[in-house]
Amino acid sequence: MKAAPFAYHRPDSVDEAVDALAGGDAKVLAGGQSLVPVLAMRLGRPGTLVDITRVPGLDDLEVTGGVLRIGAAVRQRTVERSEAARAVPLIGRAMPFVGHRELRSRGTVCGSLAHADPAAELPAVAACLDATVVLRGPRGTREVPARELVVGAMTTAAGPDELITEVRFPAAAPGDGFGFAEIARRHGDFALAGVAVHVRRGGGATLAAFGVSDRPVVRDVTALLGTDPTEAGLRPSTDALADEIVDTAGDSHGSRGYRARLLGVLAARELVRAYREAHA
Amino acid sequence: MRVEADGTVDVTVTVNGRAVTLAVAPRTTLSDVLRDRLGLTGTHVGCEHGVCGMCTVLLDGEAVRACLLFAVQCDGASLTTVEGLGSADDQHPLQQAFSHHHALQCGFCTPGMLMSSYDLLAGGTYSRDTLAEDMSGVLCRCTGYRGILAAVADVAETHADGVPPPRAAVPPALVGRTSGASPASSLALNARKSASSDTSPAEAPGEIPPEITAPTGPPTATVEVRSELASGVDDVWAVLADFDRLAACLPGAEMTADLGDDRYRGRATVGLGPVSLRFDGLAHVVEHDPVARRMRVLAQGTDRGGSSTQAVIRLAADPAEGGGTVLWADADVHLSGRVAQFGRALAGDVSRRLFEQFAEAVDEAARTGEAPTTRTSPLRLALGALLARIRRLVQRRR
Ligand SMILES: Cc1cc2nc3c(=O)[nH]c(=O)nc-3n(C[C@@H](O)[C@H](O)[C@H](O)COP(=O)(O)OP(=O)(O)OC[C@H]3O[C@@H](n4cnc5c(N)ncnc54)[C@H](O)[C@@H]3O)c2cc1C
Ligand code: FES
Ligand code: FES
Repeated sequence: MKAAPFAYHRPDSVDEAVDALAGGDAKVLAGGQSLVPVLAMRLGRPGTLVDITRVPGLDDLEVTGGVLRIGAAVRQRTVERSEAARAVPLIGRAMPFVGHRELRSRGTVCGSLAHADPAAELPAVAACLDATVVLRGPRGTREVPARELVVGAMTTAAGPDELITEVRFPAAAPGDGFGFAEIARRHGDFALAGVAVHVRRGGGATLAAFGVSDRPVVRDVTALLGTDPTEAGLRPSTDALADEIVDTAGDSHGSRGYRARLLGVLAARELVRAYREAHA
Repeated sequence: MRVEADGTVDVTVTVNGRAVTLAVAPRTTLSDVLRDRLGLTGTHVGCEHGVCGMCTVLLDGEAVRACLLFAVQCDGASLTTVEGLGSADDQHPLQQAFSHHHALQCGFCTPGMLMSSYDLLAGGTYSRDTLAEDMSGVLCRCTGYRGILAAVADVAETHADGVPPPRAAVPPALVGRTSGASPASSLALNARKSASSDTSPAEAPGEIPPEITAPTGPPTATVEVRSELASGVDDVWAVLADFDRLAACLPGAEMTADLGDDRYRGRATVGLGPVSLRFDGLAHVVEHDPVARRMRVLAQGTDRGGSSTQAVIRLAADPAEGGGTVLWADADVHLSGRVAQFGRALAGDVSRRLFEQFAEAVDEAARTGEAPTTRTSPLRLALGALLARIRRLVQRRR
């Protein structure tokens, strides 16, 4: 379980990092909490790892103009503790489910988005809140909506020579309510099914499901809350929604039907929670 | 900064309060460095891909998986391993609580559990309600977790104002050593850039002799040996004052190079039953008082297998009534790495036997004016030490 040999490159600037990524045989090393297991199991053998964690400017974590900016080197645990990140409460709700404390002390928020595990929490949170991902590559800087970033299991719209430099989350507004829940076999495992929801007082509700398809699935669920915003009242419609969303064949940990049922229950429960919060 | 796949780079980390510099290849993990290069085998390795938590250590105060970090990423970092949390004599409250609550059976997960729970308590987010989830990052195959959670809860409640910091009771000698893969790499403390221990090439002319620093912290073993020698005090001192002859009197030791400035390179072999250690190292005569016939020597050595030793040795020769000499040999011996596992009792016994045989050899050398002829073989030393130890154990039983 040792990684195959690779060259190690620690750039001092974003430009140097982008240069180092050129050629196709290099990989970004952020927290390493997903990448290193892959290397250890020899499932990947990049020629070069580009360690971006000491690049000045990538450690920004701040709220400006109603936007929370999280740089590529910012660790999940730093976000968990940060005062600034409270501007986006959904991140705080989701974070305890991202692996374990000991992993979050190294793992980055942007690394989780870049890795794009279908069951990962943070890509779903980013999709739910319509966050924006900033990419930098040899052709310059571009912005990609988080909802378009993930294009398949562990596959993103970012090119191999592009670096995610930061992710921007809209700060919560008064009258916003949130819900987050997942079911995993053990705490810290990837979810069998999970939801992140955002409800706005005065109209508007978004749900992002994860662990049930090859990428986070976002739905406008405003209509669902219309008549009877209680768990019992919502279940028929969340069950139907779940049945439509779940797109996995199932495995030994949970069949397709089981995951659909989990999702229907969690969606109803969290929508009610978010609705109450929004109307408190 | 770039390191090629087949290259190495010097990385400096502070481990349990002690700075150490060593050359690593990019793909070498922190867990391997701690275990194989620094001999800190308290950090266990289970899965090597982030799942089990056995390798948990503190990096800049926060729990991390040492198997998911490459050592090269840790340059400049401060690390605490379970060896730094507390020692057998000075246990951290968490260690005491684990013992009290039977929070371990085989003990394989215990270092990870201790470092993870320390991180939880120090992080200030402890809550009884979420304790099970918060401790879920480390797996235990034996205990059923109840004792572990009880121990952590106990410490959290008795130290509600904050858990005491790690004792940093580090094994005093922390000596980076060469790995087979990178023979150009080496050394620790201030003894940077000495030659490879495998080949011990002659010192390049003009090269600055390596520094040896006195070890700090409590020694693994302290020995005081007082021997009555038949030879006269001046003859004895003549042996001590000549490092060549002095080294030849040490069982299993051999001087390989005089580096000038009272510094020497040498090697020493210690055999102990099935154990055979070959220490390559340095010695520095830091005090030499021909009038009082006293000297003080700092020595340090590393073995290829991950053991290291440092010693402060004081030698004194006083005239005895009737023309003989009383030879005093005191030493503070610091052991780390695998050899430290033998424990202080055995380390003390071996060191004592070593000095008793040293005294006999000095007597002979003083009498003949030559290097001793009846050089003690390492094997005899081993058997002698083991016999003495077994005898002592038997006596204790009675
Ligand atoms: C036992 C275990 C349990 C886990 N459980 C969960 C879980 O429940 N939920 C969860 O979401 N995650 C989980 N993870 C993974 C999580 O801990 C990782 O932190 C996260 O997925 C990746 O972040 P990272 O910073 O460690 O990225 P790395 O491992 O460094 O990188 C991951 C991938 O993304 C690329 N990358 C990283 N940063 C960038 C960037 N800025 N630009 C472009 N590409 C980039 C890398 O090249 C690599 O391909 C778990 C991991 C382990 C080992
Ligand atoms: S050995 Fe590091 S987590 Fe298992
Ligand atoms: S005590 Fe044996 S694994 Fe925990």
